[in-house]
Amino acid sequence: MKPESEKYNKVVNLLRESKPVLVSSDDIEREVMNRLKRVHHSGLYLSEVVDFLFGWVYIGWVRRSLIAASIVLVFVFIYQQSIILKRIDVLSRQAVIIDKENVVTPSVEIERLLTVYKNSGGRFPSKTITISERQIKELMESVNELQIKYKELEELIEGDPELKKLIEKKLIEYNRLRINL
Amino acid sequence: MFFTLLLNKRLNSTIQQSILIDIKLIEECRGGNFNNFRKLVELTTPFAYSVAFRMLGNEEQAKDVVQETMVTIWQKLKKIKTAEVYKTWIYRVVVNKCYDQMRKRKRNPEFIADELTWALIANKVSEGASEALENSETSKIISLLTERLSPKQKAVFVLSDLEGMSNDKISEITGISKSAVKANLYHARKSISERVEKYI
Repeated sequence: MKPESEKYNKVVNLLRESKPVLVSSDDIEREVMNRLKRVHHSGLYLSEVVDFLFGWVYIGWVRRSLIAASIVLVFVFIYQQSIILKRIDVLSRQAVIIDKENVVTPSVEIERLLTVYKNSGGRFPSKTITISERQIKELMESVNELQIKYKELEELIEGDPELKKLIEKKLIEYNRLRINL
Repeated sequence: MFFTLLLNKRLNSTIQQSILIDIKLIEECRGGNFNNFRKLVELTTPFAYSVAFRMLGNEEQAKDVVQETMVTIWQKLKKIKTAEVYKTWIYRVVVNKCYDQMRKRKRNPEFIADELTWALIANKVSEGASEALENSETSKIISLLTERLSPKQKAVFVLSDLEGMSNDKISEITGISKSAVKANLYHARKSISERVEKYI
């Protein structure tokens, strides 16, 4: 298919016949020679240095390779960023949960929840009791401390029969009061 | 034995003369003979200007391109393998400089198409003008017809339809394949043809 028409041919012929006329060719020659003299006398061909350093960018296959490499790098960067963002998102969610535990379940609240759990015979849904590692550690320490004190007290009572009798008597009275209540 | 290159030059709008560039002159310049380079500049400038002017459609920019081309020629003349490839090489340098100029111009477009220019083309075409156009007229017409072409299409159109080169030669000068030359030329002609049909 030939796209060019008669009018097109006329216009192109007109342009072909009208060769551009260079009126001031002497000026161009003079300017070129002056520029070259300046370069010639300076001793250092800056453009040659630039060409030597960066001339390789004009090689077709190097340019295409660089373009391909830059596109690959951009995609790798985007992929990496998306993974990082995803991980940050996951981490931030975890941090929120820990924070929530600290804020929502202070030690008083945990005691209350434990009491409820104990009284309900373990039927209390465990998911609703959320405590942090630090709070569990505190709980374990206090339980241990309590056990040691209990043992010491037991030894003390065993070693003193009068004290034992007195305590047994007091306990009976206490239990009786509780039943009465 | 001296070889000669035949270069076309027009001293004025109607008279065409052929210019012979002595291979010896090129070889001497390649050897660093600065004094002989003036002669080479004098012989090369007209056809370098013709290509630059037709690609850019602007006298001042074409002159700048020619100046830069000549400076580049002097700096890189030693790098060409033989003097026989001088003409092709010159065209390649000019075309590349024009690409640079077009890239600069793309950032600062200055030509605005108007009805007067279309009227001018219509007049010239209908008159069947035997006289060649003035530079300013040629500049306007070229700018108007080629403003929508890509730099490659412009180069191929100018070298093929205005400078009368073969596709092989154009491929050698522009560094694009022959099939790409044909495709670019087809699109350039189609685009120009559509504009000519639409406005004239």
